[in-house]
Amino acid sequence: MTTTTPPARAGTSTTRKVVDTAQYGFAGFLALVGAYTVYDASGIEPGFADQALHPATFPYVFGVVLIGLGIALAVATARGDVAEAEEGEDIDLTTGTDLRTVGLLVLVFVVNIALIDWLGWAITGAFLFAASARVLGSRHPVRDVAIGVALSVGTFYGFYVGLGIPMPAGILDGIL
Amino acid sequence: MDLLLEGFSQALTPTNLLFAVIGVLLGTAVGVLPGIGPAMTVALLLPVTYNVEPASALIMFAGIYYGGMYGGSTTSILLNTPGESSSVITALEGNKMAKAGRASQALATAAIGSFIAGTIGTVLLVALAPQIGPLVVQLGAPSYFAILLLALLAVTVVLGSSKLRGFASLFLGLTVGLVGTSTGQPRLTFGQGQLADGIEVVVVAVAIFALGEALWVAAHLRRKPLEIIPVGQPWMSKKDWRRSWGPWLRGTAYGFPFGALPAGGAEVPTFLSYVTERKLSKHPEEFGHGAIEGVAGPEAANNASAAGTLLPMLALGLPTTATAAVILVAFESYGLQPGPQFMSANPTLVWALLASLFIANTLLLVINLPMAPLWAKLLQIPRPYLYAGILFFASLGAYAANFSAFDLAVLLVFGLLGFAMRRFGIPVLPLIIGVILGPRLESQLAEALAISQGDLGTLWSEPVAIVCYLIIALLVAWTIINVVRPASRREQDATPTSETREGANL
Amino acid sequence: MSVIAAYTPDEFGRAALEHAAAEAVRRQTGLVVVNGTRGDALVDTRYAHDDEIAALQSRLAADGVEVTVRRDVAPDVAQLVLDVAAETGAALIVVGIRHRSPVGKALMGSVSQRILLDATCPVLAVKP
Repeated sequence: MTTTTPPARAGTSTTRKVVDTAQYGFAGFLALVGAYTVYDASGIEPGFADQALHPATFPYVFGVVLIGLGIALAVATARGDVAEAEEGEDIDLTTGTDLRTVGLLVLVFVVNIALIDWLGWAITGAFLFAASARVLGSRHPVRDVAIGVALSVGTFYGFYVGLGIPMPAGILDGIL
Repeated sequence: MDLLLEGFSQALTPTNLLFAVIGVLLGTAVGVLPGIGPAMTVALLLPVTYNVEPASALIMFAGIYYGGMYGGSTTSILLNTPGESSSVITALEGNKMAKAGRASQALATAAIGSFIAGTIGTVLLVALAPQIGPLVVQLGAPSYFAILLLALLAVTVVLGSSKLRGFASLFLGLTVGLVGTSTGQPRLTFGQGQLADGIEVVVVAVAIFALGEALWVAAHLRRKPLEIIPVGQPWMSKKDWRRSWGPWLRGTAYGFPFGALPAGGAEVPTFLSYVTERKLSKHPEEFGHGAIEGVAGPEAANNASAAGTLLPMLALGLPTTATAAVILVAFESYGLQPGPQFMSANPTLVWALLASLFIANTLLLVINLPMAPLWAKLLQIPRPYLYAGILFFASLGAYAANFSAFDLAVLLVFGLLGFAMRRFGIPVLPLIIGVILGPRLESQLAEALAISQGDLGTLWSEPVAIVCYLIIALLVAWTIINVVRPASRREQDATPTSETREGANL
Repeated sequence: MSVIAAYTPDEFGRAALEHAAAEAVRRQTGLVVVNGTRGDALVDTRYAHDDEIAALQSRLAADGVEVTVRRDVAPDVAQLVLDVAAETGAALIVVGIRHRSPVGKALMGSVSQRILLDATCPVLAVKP
């Protein structure tokens, strides 16, 4: 193509062609979703006799288009298309992407999902807040836990008293 | 008129007034806060719809919508970081004014301009909505199908610089909308019984807007603080008033119609307003150094467009901005379907909502003028707490839908998708609109074909449908011309535009 | 050898800076002004504006003080001051201290206290 890249955004201000290899991953994801949609559609029966629109029509169309978009994105990537990562009011793209923090947050989230039925929101919610704050760089464990407990117990009673919805209390059943 | 008065009597009950105040305060706060915008806030507050009266919840959401527009202007003026994509233009002159020691006047003209534009916009909404209602009811399924198609295409093509990424987002959304049961058979449920009723749109909205954004910020956490300009009480001199009223009215005239168009949004009218004011100004030399007209016009345009957005949403059920999309989700979780029959079927609710818009606007002016210095303090909240709080409330919102850990897993999956989309520059608005409108697209087509007994010709049997297809053809042609342009020119134009900004305000 | 001033753009920071400048002149050493931030909020009122730092630098230079300014983003501001002290072989660290209730200290922590306890050189604590 050409030797100029789009104006430097994420610190990629080089004059040679840059290939964003991670973007192949997203292209693959699009194609995969499309392929699965087509596969899923192939198992759908026509439905009712008087149904003019086959219930598999939309899935077929969307699936095929997604596969096509995946291929197109892969081609564009190979030709040097670089994503303009999203800017934001509170985002400084020049510092690079810190995947470790994101990974730890996902871990905190998974722990929350695993424990919520057993321990209940009042406990896992407090954990979620305190642990996320810690991962995000807070250095005041006492304060983090205090705020977390206040928030989770507060929302628990907020739902109960304010909205009239009892949340499952989990292990604290009978105490809260 | 009687209906409107009745609406006021509904909206002015102590409960609803309280919700309006909460909405306005929350809206302004999140407009000021970095990384949170009205769409995310409404998404996080969707759980209240499980038990609060529809009128109260919608009044609060309307307050958040208007308040967010308001709060965004504060940060763009004091910090030069536009909180909303619609405040980008405001920052141009507003921050220059603040640096020149005229922060108070900039805030005042933004606040009063927003009030005037919001009020005129709401008057137009009140006047037009009942006129459009009966027209819309006559539309058949073929027309409605064509309108939906046009809206989806317009949102995808008009916004954003990369059409490819826009379509990727749209079709991912449409595919997510397929999940569930059709004609008694599971579609894309992966054999999970919990997906048989489809994926909760609430969970998808919270995941994409709140979780995805919070993770994206988490990946770019630490940086130098910005320099904030200290501010006192907003006020304006007589001269400032004289220079502001023209831009306010012209900005309103730009904002409302653009807001009402599919894919209109606030970016185009604020820009047009800015250009116009620069041309008309008696002080063109001040532009670029803090001209008050350059704040007054765009701010008015931005709030008028917010009012305009509600017109297609109420009359057709078409959301054109992220916030409108999430408010539509709220309607749906009440089992209400904005669109042709909605206005005539729920007059009390609609009129209470419209009346509450006037109230929200007035509250904004009364509350915000004296509180501007206080709002600026919100910017000192440490990011760990801000984003841990977002994660907390996002989980709560998703969990509260059914109290099932499964929804939290869905939240995480879509949150990661939202993160990846931000990383790869994929706009999120087409996805969410695809999720909302996809099922309706299918049901309208099915209805049209059922009536015509399978004859495809029915699709262009109505004049409105034909007009829509003509516009679609023009849009497609325009897009193709843009894509096949000589590569050299495309490279030159590859400067990032509204696309990258689009999510900054979520 | 140098004198370190832990600076914040408020009365406490200014008091510290004043004393540190006087000490630097008396000891005939350089002055290092440290103004750190955790960089974890959009706005940090304890992080000085650029023009304020420039004004401060020219004023001190006019008084004949050899001044360097360190403005870093660090997870822990107290540690930053201590690190700069170690790096420049500081003879003295000057901090401005404010009153904090025990609860406030438990919740907010105290930068001055950490510097006082952990520094390896003498620390001068001043009040405005």
